[in-house]
Amino acid sequence: MMRYSLFLLVFISGYCIGQTAVTDVSGREIRPPAKVERVYAAGPPASLLVFAIAPEKLVGWTRAMRDNEAPFFPDRYARLPELGRLTGRGNTANVEVVLNAKADLIVDVGSTGATLASLASQVQEQTRIPYGLFDGRIESTPGTLRALGRLMGNEREAERLAAWYENELEEARRRVAGVKEHPLVYYGRSASGLQTGGKGSINVEVLEVLGARNAGAEVRPGLVTVSFEQVLLWNPEVILTTDPNYWKSVWSDPRWRAVKAVEDKRVYLSPHLPFGWFDFPPGANRLLGVWWTGKLLYPQPFGDVDLRAKTAEFHRLFYHREPTAAQLDALLAEPGVLPK
Amino acid sequence: MNSRALSYVLAAGALVGLTALAFAVGRYPISLAELVSVLVGKSVSANVETVVLQVRGPRVLAALVVGAALAAAGTAYQGMFRNPLVSPDILGVSSGAALGAVLAIFFSQGIIVIQVFAFVGGLVAVGLVYWIGSRLRGHDPLLALVLTGVVIGTLLGSVIALLKYLADPYNQLPAITYWLLGSLAAIAPRDLAAAAPLALAGLAPMLLLRWRVNLLALPDDEARALGVDTRKLRTLVVAAATLMTAAAVAVSGIIGWIGLLIPHAARLLVGPDFGRLLPLAMLLGAAFLLAVDTLCRTIATIEVPPGVLTALIGTPFFLWLFALARRSW
Amino acid sequence: MLQVESLAYGFPGRTVGRDVSFSLGAGEAMCVLGPNGGGKTTLFRTILGLLQPHGGTIQLGGISLESLSRREIAQRIGYVPQGHSAYFAYTVRDFVLMGRTAHLGVFSVPGREDVELAERVLESLGIAHLAGRAVTEVSGGERQLALVARALAQEPATLVLDEPTASLDFGNQVRVLEKISTLAATGISILFASHDPDHAFLASHRVLLLAEGRALEIGPPAQVIRADSLKRLYGVSVEVLPLAGGRHTCLPELR
Repeated sequence: MMRYSLFLLVFISGYCIGQTAVTDVSGREIRPPAKVERVYAAGPPASLLVFAIAPEKLVGWTRAMRDNEAPFFPDRYARLPELGRLTGRGNTANVEVVLNAKADLIVDVGSTGATLASLASQVQEQTRIPYGLFDGRIESTPGTLRALGRLMGNEREAERLAAWYENELEEARRRVAGVKEHPLVYYGRSASGLQTGGKGSINVEVLEVLGARNAGAEVRPGLVTVSFEQVLLWNPEVILTTDPNYWKSVWSDPRWRAVKAVEDKRVYLSPHLPFGWFDFPPGANRLLGVWWTGKLLYPQPFGDVDLRAKTAEFHRLFYHREPTAAQLDALLAEPGVLPK
Repeated sequence: MNSRALSYVLAAGALVGLTALAFAVGRYPISLAELVSVLVGKSVSANVETVVLQVRGPRVLAALVVGAALAAAGTAYQGMFRNPLVSPDILGVSSGAALGAVLAIFFSQGIIVIQVFAFVGGLVAVGLVYWIGSRLRGHDPLLALVLTGVVIGTLLGSVIALLKYLADPYNQLPAITYWLLGSLAAIAPRDLAAAAPLALAGLAPMLLLRWRVNLLALPDDEARALGVDTRKLRTLVVAAATLMTAAAVAVSGIIGWIGLLIPHAARLLVGPDFGRLLPLAMLLGAAFLLAVDTLCRTIATIEVPPGVLTALIGTPFFLWLFALARRSW
Repeated sequence: MLQVESLAYGFPGRTVGRDVSFSLGAGEAMCVLGPNGGGKTTLFRTILGLLQPHGGTIQLGGISLESLSRREIAQRIGYVPQGHSAYFAYTVRDFVLMGRTAHLGVFSVPGREDVELAERVLESLGIAHLAGRAVTEVSGGERQLALVARALAQEPATLVLDEPTASLDFGNQVRVLEKISTLAATGISILFASHDPDHAFLASHRVLLLAEGRALEIGPPAQVIRADSLKRLYGVSVEVLPLAGGRHTCLPELR
């Protein structure tokens, strides 16, 4: 009897410990408690994934839901408390708030560097709550989902989402595989449209997933400002933007009219609710950006992609709420989102 | 020709030469023949015309206007505050303009709104400083102004810092950061059409009153005893300088060092008489910013913030000039 | 030229002196003697219209001071301050030209005639050779003379000098006093403060003793400057010695 119980004890504890330890992207081993009920997501990309996997475990949003974002989420979740961001640029959360939230686990998804890793270790030491950092790149999303699933004890749900996401990415790549001529795309940010993302910059990841040519690729990674002459020199065929003021001004500004993309009326404005599709927040939400951009850049290979259906499916799986026809209309019918 | 006249001639010559050069160079390759054709009115390819008339032309002219405006304002303030280390920011016009622009960006407004907010912000900040400063009785009026300017400027700066903190780090914060660094990259013909008349409106009183402004360099009692209503004159000079600076900052963002360095350099060349100093300072300011901005837009694919270059180039140049000079301010 | 009647003067909220009355005719030089803090500068600033009087009247050439504009005041009365810290290197010529402002239109710049007048004034003070030099580079005495020149460029009927000989060497002190006498002889009314009673003897027609803001005595120097009045004014023992030719000098008795 004693031997049997001892064996059971060792087996169970081994099972518990071995089961849920995960190495995060900074190489740190994250050991969550046996049961994870409350997860604090330190930034919007993390919130999105935690919510997708197990919405009931998300303690709160980093920023309170705005009135135009809330209708996309189930009501009880839309009203979760605002806790602030913890690390990365613009951290506004108080560590005490985190403690007060009684989280079992803290996760962050996004950029991964030595500074962020040391910050995570520091907070972990202060709060005694395991803190994991995970890669936010589009292609790493399935892996991140799986890791989060293991940490949270929701492996089944996470696996479902990860497999689906992988499938979607695979399909997109397949469609684009046969394309010989990739169009030159310029991504214009800010009200002037003169900020863009350089090669490898997280802001233009969607383009790079599709293999499209980023006009700003000759520039170092990161956000940069360029001059009009440079844009004219590049003469992109398509312009994508996330700034509605810029999109509006492009049609009447004689300087932009000289650019091929404007001449051909191929300047598009990315949808932004509830999470942006193209650039920010830099999380899994950008999958919709992949479909949207694919349709705009490669009308033939992506011709039969039903954007409404894709959007509805993503919302269902990740936001846990089926969007109404009116909501889909509002998203897709906003001026600049789709070619007329 | 005496050294003073020589300074003017050289400055004007440098300006003309730099302007010609600025029109000729740029990221978009344009041959001299094409350039001349466009300027003369002959038709060339649409792109070349766009670059010359809509992009490069307004940018070059804006650099001249902004450089001259900042230099003029700096010259007026250095004389008025009797301190050669004063810049046009001393009464908070830049902080006010920055706050206006940051607010507009924070609320996701378009470019025109950002510029209007910046312009109004600059005027309101100085108005506030002036109103408070002149209410502080029993103090040297200039000291009261300076202290109030520093206090209000700091206050506005902390509000800006707060807004940066609260701004969306993915979207608004980069836009705010870039605006604060200053740039002429986005200059449109309409910006020039708005800024130039405003700057001229500020310049006119300064030119008309150029003799009287000299008397502000004297202690207040002496200037009044010589027949000058110092309060009125100071108000006018502040209003004129603020108008010029606010108009410049609204279209170019914050470009520092010109308002401080150029009047200094000009004074070392032609002395402190405002009537002689102002035109030279404007010539030098225009030439300097044009040179800097031309570098900013040609040395790399990306744009370099002009404020960085004005400081990098300006400081050693100024030290050199100062070492050469034999006289004091 | 200058008439002061029962003048009360001081700063906003604080009256420094009262009951000062005197009149100064053309060509008259009056020396104001008094201890530091006795109100000399404040009195002068009030007479120049730089401070509001607290009571009484001031008249310049028969016209009440408060009815005159800054410009009009500057055309009638010139101010030579005590010392001058120069911030900017204006040339002595430009510095003196500043005195012409009262006669220039608001938007005007000094013309040829103004420049010629300025040069004449410099000449008359013996500093024409300094015209092109920076005012920051001349000696203290030369700068004081430049200040006088600037005030004279205003072509005033009255000249007010606040301790013009302070911080000057002996030679320069004498030159300035000489200048005061000469100017008075040309018909200008002169009001000057001095820290040295001997200067009153040398260059003034009348003396005003000012202590604690009040005029103790007014009259010709020989009459007003006595051992007891100086004792009252400065609190020190001084002997007033008569000299040949009707002149006087003061000799302090050191204990």
